[in-house]
This record gives sequence, C-alpha cells and structure tokens, in this order.
Amino acid sequence: MTRVVLALLIAGLLAAPAAAQETRERLDNGFTILVRENPIAPVVAVSLLVKMGTRWEDSTNAGISNFVHAVMVRGTARRSGSELAEAIAGLGGKLSAKGDVDDSEISATALARFWRELLGFTAELALEPKLSPGEVDGERDWLVGRIQKRRDNAPARAFDEFYAALYGAHPYAIPGLGTPESLARIDHAALVAWYRRFYQPERMTLAVSGQVSAAAVRAEARRLFGALPRGAPVTEPARSVPGNSGERRVFEQPAQQTQILVGALAPPLGHPDGAAVKVLSTALGGGMAGRLFVELRDKRGLAYTAAAYYDPVVDPGAIVLYLGTAPENATKAEEALLREVERVRQDLVGADELDRAKGYLLGRYAMDRRTNERRAWYLAFYEIEGVGADYPERYRRAVEAVTPSDVLRVARQYLGTLTTVVLRPR
Amino acid sequence: MSASVTPVARAALGLAAILLLAGCATAGAMRPAATATPTREVLPNGVVLIVQEQRASEVVALQLWMRMGGRDEAAEELGLAHYIEHMLFKGTPTRPPGSIDTLIEGFGGTSNAFTSYDTTHYDFVVPTRHLRAGVELLADLAVNASFPPEEIESEKKVVFEEMNLIEDDPEKFLLRRLYEVAYSPHPYGRALLGRREFIQKLDRDQLRQFYRKHFVPKNMVLVVVGAAAPAQVRQLVEAAFGRIQAAAPSRGETPPVPTLGPARRVDVSRAEKQAYLGLAWRTAPLANEDVYAVDLLTSILGDSPTSRLNQTVREQLRLVATIEAGYGAFEKAGLVTVTARLEPADLDRAEAAILDVIRKVRADGVTEAERQRALITAESSYAFDIETAEGLAKTYGQAETTWTLDNELAYLSRLRGITAAQIQAVARKYFGDEDYARVRFVPGAPSR
Repeated sequence: MTRVVLALLIAGLLAAPAAAQETRERLDNGFTILVRENPIAPVVAVSLLVKMGTRWEDSTNAGISNFVHAVMVRGTARRSGSELAEAIAGLGGKLSAKGDVDDSEISATALARFWRELLGFTAELALEPKLSPGEVDGERDWLVGRIQKRRDNAPARAFDEFYAALYGAHPYAIPGLGTPESLARIDHAALVAWYRRFYQPERMTLAVSGQVSAAAVRAEARRLFGALPRGAPVTEPARSVPGNSGERRVFEQPAQQTQILVGALAPPLGHPDGAAVKVLSTALGGGMAGRLFVELRDKRGLAYTAAAYYDPVVDPGAIVLYLGTAPENATKAEEALLREVERVRQDLVGADELDRAKGYLLGRYAMDRRTNERRAWYLAFYEIEGVGADYPERYRRAVEAVTPSDVLRVARQYLGTLTTVVLRPR
Repeated sequence: MSASVTPVARAALGLAAILLLAGCATAGAMRPAATATPTREVLPNGVVLIVQEQRASEVVALQLWMRMGGRDEAAEELGLAHYIEHMLFKGTPTRPPGSIDTLIEGFGGTSNAFTSYDTTHYDFVVPTRHLRAGVELLADLAVNASFPPEEIESEKKVVFEEMNLIEDDPEKFLLRRLYEVAYSPHPYGRALLGRREFIQKLDRDQLRQFYRKHFVPKNMVLVVVGAAAPAQVRQLVEAAFGRIQAAAPSRGETPPVPTLGPARRVDVSRAEKQAYLGLAWRTAPLANEDVYAVDLLTSILGDSPTSRLNQTVREQLRLVATIEAGYGAFEKAGLVTVTARLEPADLDRAEAAILDVIRKVRADGVTEAERQRALITAESSYAFDIETAEGLAKTYGQAETTWTLDNELAYLSRLRGITAAQIQAVARKYFGDEDYARVRFVPGAPSR
C-alpha cells in the first residue's frame, strides 16, 4: 500500500522536480525534523545532529564527544553492537556515529524500502544507548590506536599541529579524537554524564533525504522522538578568544613528504565577510586553476598537493593554505606560497580569475549537495547552526556579488598574521 | 588525478530491470522506460557511445574510457599510461597549458582521470548548459594532446611526489606491494606510476608514440549520463568523435599469471608503530563464470562490520584493529585480498585466525542469511552508485572496457541466482591453506 502511494508521489515529483523542497517541523519538545523527497535512486539517508562537540571540551576531556559515540554504537538497550550492525547490514545500510567540532552526528543510510527500520535504529541508538561499562576500555584502546595511526600519517599530524598552533587555548585547538592522556582520564561515569547533558530534544535535529514520503517519515519521526522530555539547559563554558600567535612551528617524523601549512583566523559561519573569504581561498587554492596549484605545481613543480580552503564554523574559522612537497623543494615552496599571499594582499584579482573562482566555488557547492547522505547532512547542519533553510540561496547570491576589491579587503584583513606549521621527514 | 588499483566487480543495472519487471517497487517502476537503461551504439570509426538520461540534477557526466592501461606498457616503459593521463590536461594546439583546468572549473565543473591496469578514463562533470563544450574538449584531448616539452619536465616532480604519497600511506602501499608480490612479473603486479629512473628520462617522443598507438577510435568508449536528451548527446558526439580517423588498435597478449604459494611472502620494515598484514588469493577474472560467487564470498568474508573476518578476528579474538576483504577482478585475472591493521605481536595469530575463518567456509559453507545479506549489500552498493550521474557512468565505462555492458546490466540478477553451495565451491576452488601471497609491514627502520 505504501508503495502505491509512494509511486504516485514520485511520479508527480518527476514531472515537477523543482517542487522537491524540504519540509520542516519542530515538535513541542524542541526536536526538529526535516525531510527532503528525492526520487532519483532507491536509497534513503538520515542525519541526526546534536549540539555536542569539541567546542564544549577542554584539554582534560578532549575527545569525549567522539568517545561517547564510539561506545554508543557498541550496543543499545535492545541489542548488542554486532546485532545492531547485522540488522543495519540487512537493510543494505550503514550506520555510524562521531563527534565533530560544533556538533556530533549519527549518520545512517539504507535501501529506501527500509526507511522505517532505519529511522527506528537511529532513534534506538540516539535515545537508548546501553553505554555499557564493559565496552569503555576496548573502545578507548581502539581510539588510542586511531590516534597513533593519525600521528603516523604526516598530513593528518600536520593539520592537528596547525590547529593547535592557530587556536591556542580555544577548544578548536583540540583534535577531535582527543589525546591518549585525555582518553585515559575519561571513565564510564564521565561518558554517561556527557551523553545525558547533550542528548536533549531541543539540541537535536533529524534530517532525512531519499526516495521516501515526507509525510510518512515525519509521522514516524514524531512517534519515535516526540515523547522525549525536554532537558536541563546546557551552560556554555567560557571560551578563550582564539589566539593566532603568528608562530612558525617545525616538527619532524618519518615520512617521504614535507607538509607545509600556513593560515590565519577567518570569519565564523554566517558572517558578512564569509562569501568574500570563500572566494579568496578559492582564488588562492581552490582546484587545479587556483594560484597555488598553477604557480607552485604546474609552473614550477614545487609541490604535489597545493590547495587552500576555508570552512566556516560557529566560532572564528580558519583560512588554510596547504602544500605537500618533496623535502628538497620545501624551502622554495614555502617562500613561493608566502609570495602568493603577499600578491593577493597587494593586487586586485583579475575579472577572469574572479569568475573562475566563483564558478568553481558554486559548482563544487552544488555538486556536493547531490547524494542523499550529503543532502541530509546539509539540511541538518544549516538548521542546527541556525542559518536557515534558505542559506544555500543566500550564499549563492553573496558569492556572486563579491568584487575584486572585496577580495583585496578581506585578504588584507584576515591574512595579516600567519601561523605556520612545517612537518618534515626525519 | 590518481591511479586506482582495484576495480571491483559488482553492482549492475540488473537491479533496476528486475524491479521494473516485478512492478513492485521504487526506482524502476516509476522511471519512464526510455531513461531506465542505457543505449549503446558504435560509430562508423569504432568509437562506442553509451548514453543515459538521468535527471538527478542539472549536470551531465562525460567520461572517456580507453581500452588501454598499465598492462599495455612494455616492461621497460612502466608508468607511460599514467604519465599520459597527467599530460592530456596540459594542452592541445588550440588550448594553452592551464586553460583546460580553468575552463572546466569556471563552468563549475570537475575533471578527473584514473589509470588502472586494463583501462584509463578521463572524466568531467559539468552543468548541462556546458555539454557541447565538454564533449568538444574531450574529443580534442583524445586526439590533439600537444605534450608541451616544458610541461613534460615540470610534471615529473609531480609524479615523483605522487609516488611518495602512496609510499607514505601504509594502507595504499600495502595493497600496492601485495599486488606486486602476487602478480610479478605479470603486468598486474607493476607499479602503475612507474619507476623513477624511467620517468626521469621520459621524453616527448615516447609519450607521443604511445599516445598515437593507443588513442585510436576502436579503443575509445564515451559514456554520457545526465540531464541531457540522448538525441542531442548523440548529435554532439557524432560531430566531435565521428570525425576521428579510424586506425587498427593493437593490444599485445599478457603472459599467464603465476601461481601463489610460500615463495611469495615478503616482510617490509616501516616507520609506523602499528603493523599491517595483507594476504591474497588468486581467483576468477571478470569474464569467468565464478566471478559472481567469488564476489558474494568476498562480501561474506570481509565487506562489512558483520562479515566473518570482522566478527571473528576483530570482535571475538580482538587480534586486529581493522580488517577487510576486497576483490580486484580484472580482465585477465582476479585477486581476493584480506588486509588488516594490527599490533606487531599479533601478526602470526591474526594470520592463523584468518586462515581458520576461510577453512571453516570451505568445510561448512555459508548460511542462507549470509547469502541474503551479501545480495542486499550488492543491491545497495549499486543503488548508492547511481545516485550521481558520474557514478552510473562509471559502472558503464568499466563494464564496456573490461567486460561487456550486457554483463553489467545482468549482474545483480546473475548474483541472485548463486546458491550457498556455489559459494562454498569457489572457496574450495580458490582459497587454499598454502596458495596465497603475503605482505607484512612491521615496525622498524625503513628498509628502503
């Protein structure tokens, strides 16, 4: 029966693809539901975002948001972790949970015909995790292994050192996985308390995208999440202002490549300068026609990886220029990178270059919002960060309006003090 | 741009066809029949064109697949196919170096390219309004690449860096070494990026000669999937690719693949603090009937957290941090690999445990529940592949160049016909206690 209804609905959508807008509903307990119907493939994706992440952590409990999710997936009140994994596999699906910077996510996908079961498992994991004391040590060991692996990986280590140098005492300096020392301090009671503090309906947003009926999904989500009582408000910790000290730090470890990261603090999500800084980072190092790639890799062969990016977050973000290069080229490559920074702070970018950067930026943005998994995440992310469902459209207009003098202004404003991390082979 | 090592046989359009016939559900039932399957045609000069309309979003995926890859290199010219992959984007007589990337990126599109053993492919995704420009660009690259000498030189450093990058990534490098140990001297054991000494001396004539020899219409497969009417696509492609002059393709024979055994075991000292273990068994090539059962067996062994290797070796015995199985099914041979990250002290026990898991499948077979789950996994994998135009295009290009499009279209239905007994039979046929290759990465002073 459901299938017949769905068939009619999808036929309608095919006739008018522009009508495929998301529907949004806030329940009485503060829980938010977003659904987007997408007929293209027989799949469904779910993203449940919770306002919990390194932004609320400090050096003593670094990594706890991610740690609690690692223990959550080890089992619920109703089934063990392997039973859960087996059940999800039976839906042709995946389910994972992790802590990030400003939020944590339970992410799940399945064949669309199993959407109801998938929502059920997502709710079970979010609301009834077992958080068994017996799982804590094993997961800690596993996470410490991942931290070790990350430290062995030169690019990953370089990025972690860079964020630590750039953000100083602000929690964005904390690596998402934490440190072996912080994880050793986090016990079962701390994990349970962390879970209870943040898993409150008003801190949660559920987004669903796929070959589903929005009305049916919303009804089921209401049933699953509607009875959850509101919780105590979370007191926000006092956060240090990020302190870009302008340091240059050098590290060594066994590797073939030298990693060079240069960057600075940038505007937070939703800031009026955001679009211009995005265009700036794209002109510098977005894609194979960005200045770093053209000048350092194409013309001079000084680096293999040459990129720049800016990802807005709730507190000040970072604009990062990144090179991966052979050790013998490292000094020249770093000098050339700094010359590109100087150039973009002195001269206006050309009209063609600006058009290329905007086309690339908006094209990539559109391309990134095509799979259901990404669509669900974007929906939930814009909602939970309070920028609104029309953000993509506002962002597109803001990018199109950026002028060469806007780029020059933000380059001068944000690229004045640079923090540098160099990781070279030992 | 990168070299991919393991195309995996799976995921076919068979699914949509089944649903369509059954009339019971989701995608197939709702799609207008005309857009649910690709059309394939051969232009008079031999270029194959595969087209499918897909209105997921206002973009179109354009992929040029070449029946040419690392296996077509002579033993003394390793790395040519991959080097050409890099050089193709460097310009043509009418497009100066750098302008191609600028053009595609200015469209808001993406470009990429991949070299494998059997094939090489060049991919664009562009907004539909730039369809014509995209088709014309691909055709230009296919026959008019100019290989500017200064670009050839500067790209060498880039390729050397790419080599470093793979060596620095233990998981990628493990697979690379495992293929080498399992196949050498067969071409599937070669480093697709080539050898430094050869690349260092590589000149323009060598590149042009290889390009001229292999970039002929009969080696070309153009796949176009996206928000564009097939009739319009056909017209554009005929105009751009139809005029390429026909020439006879020449593809040499590959030598037989070696048998595996205890002689093919290598330990490598590496800087990482954790160890890595890779085992490989020789299995069926793409055109072999066993490919379906081997695909399901690989999935049951190590394709997910619920797989046997994960449940036994990671969950119960806690001997590895991660473990997975993969099936690299190529035109001339197939290899099933099992790779794990673990503590160095557990290397021997983990290997014994993996062999035990396989022994148990040989002795007792797999359960109906496992078979069903492997089928669902394959169905799902396909369903997620076709979410994007480029994902669907890739399944077609891969099939047309290394197998056949019909085999791809029937794949899921063939998979459904495989019984648990057939899965056990391929476990017995291919997975012995001794006939595997092994590579171990152990912490220590790097032995390079």
